[in-house]
Amino acid sequence: MTIVATDSPAAPALRRFALRGYVPLFPPFAVLLLFFAVPIGMMIGISFQDPKTAQFSLGSYQRFLTDGLIIAGLFRTILMSGLVAICVTVMAYPVAYFLARSTSRWRAIVFALAIAPELAGVVLRTYGWLIILEDRGFVNDALIWLGLVSSPLPLAKNLFGVVVGLTHVVLPFGILALLTSIQGIDPNIEKAAQILGASRLSVIRHILLPLSIPGTVSSLLISFTMAASAYATPALLGGARFKVLATMISEQIMFYINWPMAAVMAIVLLVLMLAITFAGGRVETRLHKKLNV
Amino acid sequence: MTRDIHPGNQQELGKIMKTPTITAAALLTTVTAGHCEQLIVNSYGGPYEAIIMERIIKPFEDKTGISVVYDPVGSSSQDYAKIKATNGRPGFDVVVMTASQSLDGCRDGLLEKFTPATVPNLEKLSPAINKIAGECGAVHELQYMSLLWRTDKLKAAPSSWAALFDSELKGKVILPTFQNIMAANLMQVLSVQNGGDLLNNVDPGFKAMAQLAKQSVGFEQSSAVMETYVKDGQVWAMPFWNGRAQLLVDTGMPVDYIKPVEGTIPLIATLNVPVGTQNKEAAMKFVNFFLEKSSQEAWVTGYKVGSARSDIDVPDAVRAKQITTEEDLDKLLLPDLSIMAAKLPEWGDRWEREVVHAAN
Repeated sequence: MTIVATDSPAAPALRRFALRGYVPLFPPFAVLLLFFAVPIGMMIGISFQDPKTAQFSLGSYQRFLTDGLIIAGLFRTILMSGLVAICVTVMAYPVAYFLARSTSRWRAIVFALAIAPELAGVVLRTYGWLIILEDRGFVNDALIWLGLVSSPLPLAKNLFGVVVGLTHVVLPFGILALLTSIQGIDPNIEKAAQILGASRLSVIRHILLPLSIPGTVSSLLISFTMAASAYATPALLGGARFKVLATMISEQIMFYINWPMAAVMAIVLLVLMLAITFAGGRVETRLHKKLNV
Repeated sequence: MTRDIHPGNQQELGKIMKTPTITAAALLTTVTAGHCEQLIVNSYGGPYEAIIMERIIKPFEDKTGISVVYDPVGSSSQDYAKIKATNGRPGFDVVVMTASQSLDGCRDGLLEKFTPATVPNLEKLSPAINKIAGECGAVHELQYMSLLWRTDKLKAAPSSWAALFDSELKGKVILPTFQNIMAANLMQVLSVQNGGDLLNNVDPGFKAMAQLAKQSVGFEQSSAVMETYVKDGQVWAMPFWNGRAQLLVDTGMPVDYIKPVEGTIPLIATLNVPVGTQNKEAAMKFVNFFLEKSSQEAWVTGYKVGSARSDIDVPDAVRAKQITTEEDLDKLLLPDLSIMAAKLPEWGDRWEREVVHAAN
């Protein structure tokens, strides 16, 4: 671009042409500025206020860093989101592979089933899991009836229940992320390897997994960020003992009316997600280099 | 908070579904009514909506000619968050909240102050209750934290909060989470019962709550969900707002509720007017109308709650269960809500560490 900006008579026209290329970007940029950047800026401003006097204060940040309950909530968020990301990616991979490679008539049905959970609202699905997992739920009733356990297993109101519920919520996104990636891998490479004597396991290990790293990383990142910011599922399936940042933010706004503390928690959550996304990108690049793909 | 007092999640869903309808209705009314005055009243859905429409809003419209658009979207904490976020211009003229939000709104300058000049019926309310709600809250309803119990499961009717600790109720009690104000109120009542007080010396209350947590099946935030434990017989006794308890009794379930002998803390519901309302005069008329003797009688007998007016005439059966007399009002435990609000964060931490941690 800077090369064009010389004394050439065609320069102004070219510059106008180049600027015209940015015109379609203005509306989305304006929307993002108005509805994302400005509110984030306001949130950052609120986080530096004293909850009572609205004067400048670092008190909420100080409390975040020193309050054991809040720190525990942060680590619980990271643990929950990490587990969901792993569960989703592991479960989504075979489904995505089937959808990418299969030519059977079942493909459309499997695709519809994979996406179907999104047709029902997240609250509805979460209540469904509550009915299945609670002490007097379907699973515990069945286990007790079969004589496998004498008292209900703790399947809900804990980390396990939340991870199950969120994995169900996020799974379709993991499948779509991996599907796009696997579809981009030339199937002839796998065939060529098999013709040359590679076992099926060897093809998966040495060809499919390395070439689908971008999809795997995308699936992990999408799942992590969606789980970290989820509210309804942890609130309903987590119970009183399982508090994560999203539910704690709601408490601060609605119950304690402490917006600065809620803003600090939201900023930490945002930074956490940005850091994970950045780290994911770095890991992807390193793996590419290491595996030479 | 009040989401837990009034109908449950299905009704919340109903509220959400109704939003476009209300907006459309408001627009249509504006267009067709021409100069007709219009008031937007925000409150709750479900049975509450049906009763307020019949007992308060219709008579108000008939008397004043002011048309009311009813908006059942949002719990009181959500409504207050909306008022705060819009700096007093939330899009409704009158809102039903609680005394806590009235005090917060008054302190933040987001709610209109009421005076006997603007709302003459304020002078008819109990001064003690009125004082608790502050200058910006008009108390139109009183409930109290009752002890709800299954009549077919317990051997004898309880009379005291101490009944919750009986071995008979081991694993048969459910407790609210701290985000339901009943949790703090129960802790305060137990504090008083065990030699502490409502605000400054609450150690006995937390100690008792830790003991009670061991007795419980767990914690639930929503009263609607707590109710399901009683309905399916998992829970035989729990603290519950009496208005909602009465609704359960009315369904014919084998439950009853009592006002324990040690006393209890009321839930003070208030009418509020955001400062940015465009229809201030009509809003004040509505608030005053709701506090009329006849309106209070209609509300107490219709929704089966108590009143801060002790001069109302209601049937004995209603009077026996509700707060309707000076004597009833005198027996209530009344914490200073401003001090309580300041202590909630500290109590919330203690609740997590001492009560939730002690649960099975």
